[in-house]
Amino acid sequence: MAETTPQNGATQENAERRVIIRTVGLKKNYLMKGVLTEALRGMDIEIFQGEFISVMGPSGSGKSTFFNMIGALDSPSVGRVFIDEVDVAQLTAEELAYLRCHKIGYIFQSYNLIKYMTALENVTTPMAFGGVMPDEARTRGMDLLDLVGLKDRWHHRPIEMSGGQQQRVAIARSLSNNPSVLLCDEPTANLDLNTGQEILEILQRLNEKKGVTIICATHDHRMMNICDRLMWIRDGKIDRIADRGDVHIEVGHIDGH
Amino acid sequence: MKSINIADQPWLSMRRTISITVDGIRYRLFRASVTVAVIVVAVAFLMNILAESLIKRSVANDTRERIDTSRVIYNWSAKLTSPGSPESIIIEIANSCPESDLYRETQRFAAMSDEEMASFQNYAQKIVFIFDFFDGLDYAKRRAMIHTASGLEILKRLNNPENMEQFKLALSRIRSVHFDMDFAELDDVLAKGPEIRKQVNTVISSRRKAIAEINKTLKGKSILEKLATADGTFGDTIRQAGFVFNAENTAPLVADQAQRLLDTLTLEESMEERPTRQLIAQQANILPADVNVMMMWKYLDGKRFATRYLEKMQESGLNTAGLNPDRLVDLAQGRKENASLLRAERLTFDSGGGFLGLGERLGWLLFVSMLVCGIGITNAMMMTVTERFNEIATLKCLGALDGFIMIMFVLESCFMGVIGGIIGAILGGVIGLGRMLAAFGVNFLGAIPVGDILLGMLVSVLLGTILAAVAAVLPSYKAARLAPMEAMRVE
Repeated sequence: MAETTPQNGATQENAERRVIIRTVGLKKNYLMKGVLTEALRGMDIEIFQGEFISVMGPSGSGKSTFFNMIGALDSPSVGRVFIDEVDVAQLTAEELAYLRCHKIGYIFQSYNLIKYMTALENVTTPMAFGGVMPDEARTRGMDLLDLVGLKDRWHHRPIEMSGGQQQRVAIARSLSNNPSVLLCDEPTANLDLNTGQEILEILQRLNEKKGVTIICATHDHRMMNICDRLMWIRDGKIDRIADRGDVHIEVGHIDGH
Repeated sequence: MKSINIADQPWLSMRRTISITVDGIRYRLFRASVTVAVIVVAVAFLMNILAESLIKRSVANDTRERIDTSRVIYNWSAKLTSPGSPESIIIEIANSCPESDLYRETQRFAAMSDEEMASFQNYAQKIVFIFDFFDGLDYAKRRAMIHTASGLEILKRLNNPENMEQFKLALSRIRSVHFDMDFAELDDVLAKGPEIRKQVNTVISSRRKAIAEINKTLKGKSILEKLATADGTFGDTIRQAGFVFNAENTAPLVADQAQRLLDTLTLEESMEERPTRQLIAQQANILPADVNVMMMWKYLDGKRFATRYLEKMQESGLNTAGLNPDRLVDLAQGRKENASLLRAERLTFDSGGGFLGLGERLGWLLFVSMLVCGIGITNAMMMTVTERFNEIATLKCLGALDGFIMIMFVLESCFMGVIGGIIGAILGGVIGLGRMLAAFGVNFLGAIPVGDILLGMLVSVLLGTILAAVAAVLPSYKAARLAPMEAMRVE
């Protein structure tokens, strides 16, 4: 515990690397039936390029709200979110769409593939939104499906694939416009152990070989083995942030419970 | 401080938008088909009403013409026996074209110049307007305005200042009635009244003289029998008497119809004889006493029966000169046609008014049905949007613009509108056509306005599409405004 980094999250080593997502005094309040709910109560964090960071926390901790903020899906009540040093709050609707299309890849717990499209069409749709020509989109889409090992299933619709395969298509889709950041919302929660392991391996490979920044909300303890840093959220605040090396000891500790 | 290039997201090409939309519809075929069914019903209803009114209007015009032609004989036999009332002459002139036979004839009888005749017709039209105004009132109102006067008496009565005051007072009190002629004009017509009256009287006395002249040539025959030879010497007699009787068009028609009428009468009288009556009774399998003239006409439609009937007529010693089986069949068919004309006239008496011959009631009904359809489509689209929350939010996460989502939904609705519109227009058109054919009979096949109906179909399809597009705007807006973080939600 003594080695846990302070809340600003920057170790000496990290400071020299490029910051890809930075939040400053992030707060989010919801007004529900007249009751003010503070989902986030001030979060400051810097996430670096090429990092694999896991976000953990019980449900209701503000994890999802935090994800919406850094994914440019929602705007904060107080504070700022910078993605690649761009203040998200200042973007127009078209620029936001561009940002979501090109800079961020989303992976959802329930895959969220478009049901009436084939695997390839699912992968190439973001490219079409980004203005890539159909022929090029097709070639790149096939390459991405190859990357997740589903090249021969390109013409299958989601309903004809298993959960793990669907999630692999979703990963291919999230990569279609070479995003800087991959935002995963509990990618293994709906999968069995083995399939979840496959997904984790793909994510790890992407992080190591392609240098994609991955932010991953998870309850999966195996994630601790592959991520660079771990972040705990509790009651809308960052509980603590730790490097993987520091936590390893604690895994035993946790398991011991 | 933007360190990376953030640009505006480009618009998706229309082709890709359409292909995504069509794929979406194909995937949800059942829901889409229910929405299409709503549109089909509404458009079919619209097209059905449209087709029926168009056909009715066209049949009404056709019927009026054919009935006018079939009544030429009645007009002439009436004209050659009675000079007519002053009112009927005024109405005739008011409604006739300046170059028509009747117009020329009246001018000749009244010995008027072209200008006098034109002025006469002008005043006749104004007088008819006054007649129509008073005829349209109910008894109490009419009594309050002009007491019991009718016809030309009205003019005479209003010429009296006291009665005129009474009329104006009643008019100002009865708010629901509007007299659309200004009083200066009315005064002018009233002042001209006696002169018009005199001119009409001249026409009547000239006609009476002409009729007397024709009567001299009848020599005991009826006017109908004489008119049967109207395309020959009797036509010349009519012309000599002073009537305008066109030898090329009117005379053969009158002669033909007179002969037809005579033959019809002969046949209807022949039924009183025993042999003929028995023949009909035998055919109908009833007692001879129950036989009526309708049965005779019904059976005469067939040539075999007509031949036998003619034989029986000769057996009874009736004069069958000029009659043969074909003629009998022809007469029976002519009667049938007349009956269908009369039926058509009865069925179409209310057509022709308002927009596209629809009239106010139907127009309102159509509006309500369109409204119901619009709400139905809106509801269906709302359901679709709710069902697809996840999909829409995901698309937005992938970089879809709000406009794309909006277009996608409006387009989807439009497609369904076109498909539903085409099916509905065909369905409604066919049903309308069938119903009208059943009502009027194949006699009026030629009177069906094919071009108008096709145009009506086009309008229906267009209206269905526009309706679907408009109804989809609100749900599409809702979809487009959906927050992308909905995609994070786990069902």
